[in-house]
Amino acid sequence: MPTRDMRQPLPMGVGSLTRGWAAVLALGVVGTVVGIVGYAVERTQGMVATGMRDLGTMQGATWGIYIALVVYFVGVSFAGITVAALIRLFRLDKLRGVARMAEVLTVVALILGALAIIVDLGQPVRGVINLFRYARPQSPFFGTFSLVISGYLFASLVYLYLTARRDAAVLARRPSRLQGFFRLWAAGYEDTPEQRARDRRVTFWLALAILPLLVIAHSSLGFVFGLQVGRPGWFGTLQAPAFVVLAGVSGVGHIIVLAAIVRKALGLERRIGRDAFGWLGLFLLGLLATYLYFVVVEVLTIIYQPGVIEQRLSEALLSGTYAWLFWGSVATLVVPFLILAWMALTRTWRVGWLVTSGILVNLGAIGKRYLIVVPSQTHGQLLPYGVGSYTPSLVELAVTVGLFSLGAVLITLFMKVFPIVDLETEASTELEEVSA
Amino acid sequence: MAIDLDRCQGCRACVEACKIENNTPSAVFWMYVFRLEEGTYPDTSISFLPRPCQHCHNPPCVKVCPTGARFHRDDGIVLTDFDRCIGCRYCEVACPYGVNFFNWRKPEQAFADYQLKMDDPDLAAVTGGLIPPYRNPDLDELQGDEQRRTAGSAHYKGVVEKCTFCVQRVEKGLDPACVVTCPVEALVFGDLEDPNSPVSTYLRGRDQFKLLEELGTDPSVIYVGGTPPTPDAREIERPMTGVGNANA
Repeated sequence: MPTRDMRQPLPMGVGSLTRGWAAVLALGVVGTVVGIVGYAVERTQGMVATGMRDLGTMQGATWGIYIALVVYFVGVSFAGITVAALIRLFRLDKLRGVARMAEVLTVVALILGALAIIVDLGQPVRGVINLFRYARPQSPFFGTFSLVISGYLFASLVYLYLTARRDAAVLARRPSRLQGFFRLWAAGYEDTPEQRARDRRVTFWLALAILPLLVIAHSSLGFVFGLQVGRPGWFGTLQAPAFVVLAGVSGVGHIIVLAAIVRKALGLERRIGRDAFGWLGLFLLGLLATYLYFVVVEVLTIIYQPGVIEQRLSEALLSGTYAWLFWGSVATLVVPFLILAWMALTRTWRVGWLVTSGILVNLGAIGKRYLIVVPSQTHGQLLPYGVGSYTPSLVELAVTVGLFSLGAVLITLFMKVFPIVDLETEASTELEEVSA
Repeated sequence: MAIDLDRCQGCRACVEACKIENNTPSAVFWMYVFRLEEGTYPDTSISFLPRPCQHCHNPPCVKVCPTGARFHRDDGIVLTDFDRCIGCRYCEVACPYGVNFFNWRKPEQAFADYQLKMDDPDLAAVTGGLIPPYRNPDLDELQGDEQRRTAGSAHYKGVVEKCTFCVQRVEKGLDPACVVTCPVEALVFGDLEDPNSPVSTYLRGRDQFKLLEELGTDPSVIYVGGTPPTPDAREIERPMTGVGNANA
């Protein structure tokens, strides 16, 4: 039995509970409970408790903020695994510090995406069964449910597990309450040179396989909308690429915010350096430039597109009902672009401004997702049903709060059972000590 | 199905017949009749456009359904399997005709809103506590070779439903409720592939159009007489569609 003196605290604040951490967790739990209450109301009253209504005679939107959130969360998951895979494929060692949290973000965002689908279904239990039992690859939803939620989530979990095994092996040698858990995670891994080489090989190929899977998965989400001829504003070739790029924008923005929080909370100014933030900032700048180019193309196309109904929809977007949201979203993408471009030109990466950009692009991303889903339903009726409207109800907003809070809770909990930043440098010295 | 717009007088008897035959809840119109106005005063014209499900040969709703709950039968009828539908409403956004309805409420509440309070004791004495007061027993049967549950409305909460061409009647050799009820015989039903069916004979030699034909959905509902609605067309009078009083 180890004595109390031999117990060193685990690194990265794992296992030690602090007041700030507890406060964040409590806030997250409260938000999650709000979401659960909201969902309970939706289930007991029926989905009439939401602001969604039928298209056509009811003049509503049958897909609302939930579907926008599905697209958004799956989008956020993009960046995590991309950044992690890029770091491994291109050996970007200065970014090692953000790789683990990026992987965790991917897994959490995918869980939230899956939950956002579930809350949108009229028959959630049947949905979980029938989506697999009667799966039809011909439906664009197959990509969302089976490819993204199952394949992609599974691949990300395996990737997270494999890349973290080394740390687990290191921590399993220290006496702590979590020792058994780390031993389970390491699963016999002892960090011998052969094992290390094998894991490196496996993760390399997995990273290589994940990158195309990612483009396919996010494109399939774009196809959910882009292949529909019957809904003005949806059919188009740009949908799939724009989905992939905006996914990257929101995801990288999220990583920047998360990295800044972790860096501050755990005092990791050295591990997650300015250059790591600089790289993320440049990556975000590149994606944002591409997406803004898409926005210009989109605006020009919808101004000139043929068809009376289509033009009515364009008017609603550019100068009508949805103009505030459209131009607001564009602004929350242009402003961060200018901030990032300025920082890139002057080569001074300020974490504060990066975080601001990260938050703004995510607001813009949610806005743009909402604009893809809703206006084509309320203003895109080809038969003379008249113009519809949709406002999210309190229940939907509560569930939205709940989803974001649950994400925060999951990440906060993970931080206390496993190091959110990998132990690379400290670990190698420690292992040598142990083996000596 | 053929719909003769020269005959239609916009009485909406077909809408009523459909609601009674299929027990659809309030604000749900499997059959719907547009009363449309076009032009600017004083040069306006009024027209009527009945709108059942178009039962497309190339149905966008069937293509997008992730579970195969929406399917296209060999006889051309497009149906929903209520036991398989998960309520994702993808069919609803994919359909350009707006014919799909989601069961937002539970079945027992679906009929009890707007003006009628079904739990009112005076009303309960008349209805015997049944919701809806009259329930068509034929709707509980299973249809087709596969014996799937496809008829009727509001059986379950959280599934999508739409016009079935009264599959429970068609299987017995009867015409859909809207067709038999129409007082001016504006609706004609039958097998479009059989050259001697009533609908084929009716269509022969007449000018026809299909709704939103340019989308390539190839509807089996064919309109004769009249013209397709222009984008300028607007509704001048609507039944209780649930707009604005959704939480009543």
